[in-house]
Amino acid sequence: MHHLILITWKGLLRDRILQGILVATGIFLFIPSVSVLSMRQVGELAITLSLSLTSFILLLIAIFCGGTALWKDIDRHSIYSVLGLPISRTNYLLGKFFGIAGFLLLISLVLGLLASATIWYVSLTDPPARPILWTNILMALTFDCLKYIMVVAVSFLFSTVSTSFFLPIFGTITLFLGGNVTQEVYDYLQTPAGAALPALTKQIALFLYYLLPNFAVFDLKANAVYSIPLPANGILLPLAYSLAYCGLLLSAAAMLFTRRELH
Amino acid sequence: MKQALSLTLCAAFLLCLLAPVARHMQERPFVQRVGVSPQPAVMRFVTADQKQIFGALEVLKVLIYYGTSLEKAQQHQDIVHDFQGMYPLIKTATRLDPYNMDAYYFAQAILVWDMRRIDEANALLDYGMQYRTWDFYLPFFAGFNHAYFLKDYDKATFYYKRAGELTGSDLFIRLASRYMYEANQTGLAIAYLQTMKAGARNETIKKSFDLRLTAFMAVKRIEDAQAAFLRDLGRPAKTIEEIAQAGYLATPVIDPYGGTFYLDNTGRVRTTSKFAALPSNNAK
Repeated sequence: MHHLILITWKGLLRDRILQGILVATGIFLFIPSVSVLSMRQVGELAITLSLSLTSFILLLIAIFCGGTALWKDIDRHSIYSVLGLPISRTNYLLGKFFGIAGFLLLISLVLGLLASATIWYVSLTDPPARPILWTNILMALTFDCLKYIMVVAVSFLFSTVSTSFFLPIFGTITLFLGGNVTQEVYDYLQTPAGAALPALTKQIALFLYYLLPNFAVFDLKANAVYSIPLPANGILLPLAYSLAYCGLLLSAAAMLFTRRELH
Repeated sequence: MKQALSLTLCAAFLLCLLAPVARHMQERPFVQRVGVSPQPAVMRFVTADQKQIFGALEVLKVLIYYGTSLEKAQQHQDIVHDFQGMYPLIKTATRLDPYNMDAYYFAQAILVWDMRRIDEANALLDYGMQYRTWDFYLPFFAGFNHAYFLKDYDKATFYYKRAGELTGSDLFIRLASRYMYEANQTGLAIAYLQTMKAGARNETIKKSFDLRLTAFMAVKRIEDAQAAFLRDLGRPAKTIEEIAQAGYLATPVIDPYGGTFYLDNTGRVRTTSKFAALPSNNAK
């Protein structure tokens, strides 16, 4: 499988993804200048901007690399020569997935270092009101990465049933937005206004809440920006959730991909 | 050759357009520029995992709008302010990021003093206190609003006690209700504004505090002269001119907002500008 991971990495490098990321990281240079526009929280704004930029770049990589990885191999017919080798479709799928997941991890590390350097630089002149908790920033970056690995798994699931890249990309975007609001809907249902909704509506909302990936559990930005202590549950549960959900998505993707007819 | 020609022509055409487009954008009615924001609930849905940055952008948008309008007002330009439009944006910012201190600070600095939307500002502060549980500024602001503007001294005591508990300082408790009621309100406002100004980093906000501070210091000057008049002559003065003629005000007192000071029926110092040359005069 490690050969497949390496091939996936080579493919990503050939597509000049790194150059694109390099250009986007130039925005980090502007963060200190933009942060001083804040009235009372220059340091906090620098952390917000740094984490948001990191998160946005990872999102783009996850959607576009994840959504086109399988499609490109099928479209270019390179998949047939690979599957002609003694390698199962499941291993092929997992190799591609772990290749992109590993790439996301590496990019997260690089972006995390750039974000930390930016935050540190701003904090020299404008320290936040509360001392920066670097472990929280590390956790926020790590969980962002986990979230986008899960997004890649979602795009792989769509890729296994799609003949073009439209469904993987737009389906993933839709599910990403949906997965970010299910928690909001659930919280609303707990309010008196939510409780007054028709029973069927509430049942559907609850069903979707449990079915769709809950990306809100990975959002630790507020903890990182405002140095709010992280409970142990806030780390362990999202970790376990991402493992379980990724396992589920990849199992379903492998099952569908194995049964798919490739022409 | 044709491609190069086409490229040159398009570039030239675009260059010609840049200045008119910028001018057109500059000449838009001022009120349009603060923009509108969807309902906070909608914004929470569409901003996905980027709520903090969108919250910060909403505050920056309002701040830039306010800064521009302040400059225009100081240049005595006749413009229609959209100060009413600022509150929904600030509210949206707090719903996107309930920890965003800029939003609460702006609400206290501008919504309260310039727009006199005390209840809305207090509601925002109450909302923020649920999240920024470590921050003494929010109960400090709320305590001041209740004491100074709403004359609700019980609530003021409650908030000042909370601020005192958070800082471990008895300063806020000493500021509480009965003391404030009996003490000089103008002196209290000056002390409050000086505290706010000392913590202000943004130049626009600092300027706004400066202006208000100058106005309150002018009021304090009149009040001190009024007290001296009463002490020396044994009767209250009826007008500011009477105080000046009696020699208690050496130089004329100027309202930086452009109004004129006067004494009302109860003898309190008032000004025709109502301490708000900008929005309140437009809003009313």
